[in-house]
Amino acid sequence: MGATVRIELDPLGIVLDAEQGSTLESILAMHGVEFPCGGAGTCGGCRVQVLAGAAEPQEADLLVLTDAELAAGYRLACRIRADSPLKLKVDQWSMPVLSDDAAGAASLRHGLAVAIDLGTTTLAAQLIDQKTGAVLGLRTALNPQSAHGADVMSRVRFSLSNGELTTLIRSCLAQMIADLADGRAAEIVEVVLVGNTVMHHLFCGLDAEPLAHVPFRSPNLGEQRFSPQQLGWNLPASAVIRFLPCLGGFVGSDILAGILATSLHAGHQLRALIDLGTNGEIALGNCDRILCASTAAGTAFEAGAIRMGMRAAVGAVSHVSWDGVRLHCGVIGDVEPRGICGSGLIDAVAAGLDMGAILPSGRMANGDKVMSLQHPVELYQADIRELQLAKGAIAAGLRILLEHWGAELDGIESVHLAGAFGNYVRPRSACRIGLLEVPAERLIAAGNSALRGAKLSIGVDHFPVLGIIEHVPLASDPEFEDKFVDCMSFPDGHETVAANCVHPDD
Amino acid sequence: MANLKKLYDAVLNGDAKTAVAVTQEAIAEKLDPAVLISDTMIPAMAEVGRLYECEEYFVPELLLAARAMKGSLTLLRPLLAASGTKPTGKVVIGTVKGDLHDIGKNLVASMLEGGGFEVTDLGADVSPDKFVSSVRELKPDLLCLSALLTVTAPSMRTTIEALKQAGLRESVKVMVGGAPVTPEFAREIGADGYSENASQAVVTARQFCHPDKAA
Repeated sequence: MGATVRIELDPLGIVLDAEQGSTLESILAMHGVEFPCGGAGTCGGCRVQVLAGAAEPQEADLLVLTDAELAAGYRLACRIRADSPLKLKVDQWSMPVLSDDAAGAASLRHGLAVAIDLGTTTLAAQLIDQKTGAVLGLRTALNPQSAHGADVMSRVRFSLSNGELTTLIRSCLAQMIADLADGRAAEIVEVVLVGNTVMHHLFCGLDAEPLAHVPFRSPNLGEQRFSPQQLGWNLPASAVIRFLPCLGGFVGSDILAGILATSLHAGHQLRALIDLGTNGEIALGNCDRILCASTAAGTAFEAGAIRMGMRAAVGAVSHVSWDGVRLHCGVIGDVEPRGICGSGLIDAVAAGLDMGAILPSGRMANGDKVMSLQHPVELYQADIRELQLAKGAIAAGLRILLEHWGAELDGIESVHLAGAFGNYVRPRSACRIGLLEVPAERLIAAGNSALRGAKLSIGVDHFPVLGIIEHVPLASDPEFEDKFVDCMSFPDGHETVAANCVHPDD
Repeated sequence: MANLKKLYDAVLNGDAKTAVAVTQEAIAEKLDPAVLISDTMIPAMAEVGRLYECEEYFVPELLLAARAMKGSLTLLRPLLAASGTKPTGKVVIGTVKGDLHDIGKNLVASMLEGGGFEVTDLGADVSPDKFVSSVRELKPDLLCLSALLTVTAPSMRTTIEALKQAGLRESVKVMVGGAPVTPEFAREIGADGYSENASQAVVTARQFCHPDKAA
């Protein structure tokens, strides 16, 4: 090793030596900096602040960061190099991982089982007593693959040249299970995993190459079974580890589990299940037939490409409302705000529409480029555009599934929102911006339906519901572009405004 | 008399019906199609590009304006060909192999058409071979490659390699764009140009075709 330079990470209090001239991406990844675009230098999500030392802005810094950010010492963590000693401010924010309190199904079997929701961003595992169905313990963690890209496509790209992601996730889950079992690992007879198609392929060690190009059709969508020896997991040799089958394209067993958990396949009424993430997944159907699709929504719902975007953590504006006179912002932790999270973004745009500060086209009124929320947090014109792309993709996806089904929007009895974001988004705001084009009272937060469905699948070998599920590829649908563009605008919403805000003159 | 201000506004407002109607009037009155394009259509699309740049217009407005312009151009193009008018430049464009995303590529194609270029759109999921054979046959000044996915961007490199192998690399300028593409990446794969959005693409394309005239 050649000369080293001292790198200090604030507020972690970590001091380390880095090889002079080396890039800091891998070191920073280990200390909680995330790289939403996988280090491509395009999203700005990995920015860190240089508190002391010199780091010349690179070409990518100049393109992605504002002059004010550059002047304040912000640099992209994926481009910064250890040329001289640096002191960096690394905001390592923790994220609440959504779990599920429901018990599994009681059975006559003995022993313990583990249900795992293997999400692109977060992992949740529960230990279940098979006989009673009781939940004995819970462990959550961030997916360690996150350092190699926030979205599934970045992971696929990384996996094409590197087999590390499979090892990473398997060893992380082995540790979680060991923690969860707390000495009782010998009693575990079954582990059930659910996740999207990319998570399925990467955990199972399957070739993700078919998922890297059209028609995004992998030959290996079925359930995969492993013995503990195959995975190097310290469980009884007779234990079975199962990753439940994918439904098609990018729609994975997390949606299958969601369908089971919300009983979408029970009854004749038409219902939808929507998982709002970077890859939005939609299932629509009843006991006769269920259609499913995935649509690339980008990272706006997680406040990814948003100028002042951040996770739903302390300091995030998570709630914005307009009472007809002024804006009210709710900040997580009741502290000075430092950014805005996904639910806050949707609220802010809904409030802006109510105020007339944002026009249905998405343009800010009066030629404004910035809308002040609560000092110093602001909403930028470009943020609204990002949200328009994301919500357009989801709304268009639902419209196309409805068309395939032969039903209208008002024929949907309820929409179940899966996942963390679905849990925190305010139904009224989601409707106001046209993300979900059904009345707010028909929106139901489904919680972690993937984890709940995984629990319900313990000991279940056969899923008759697979026979009525059909995957609809949206990318090749000739209607998609037109619908996507239609859905990018915001609803006029005169009625919603009248019903929801008090005018000062009244 | 055909009201050319009305045509300009129709393109700007994405009103295809009016754009076509005024164009028909203008043709009936024997107005020079080349002048109609250079004095009305190109300035209208340039204004659309400006509004997009300053964040007033977004994808829906851009697409509507492009449709209005196309309605008008469809009528004018046969007349142009008959009169032997030279386009600003010849462009072949397509989304690279493995990628079906069309919208961004369509916007660039429309803006280039609106900028007076003759554009041949090969569509989406276009193989390197197809790009090569089109460059050989059509002899364009510019080849534009688009990709939306991080996983398909490498197809741009493959396409440029295929051009080299076919001995055609020096005959055409290659421009790349799309969400995963950065100026760094463009340089790395040996492209000649990069542009961040559809309106910048026209500026870059003009520089390649008329380096002397470019602003």
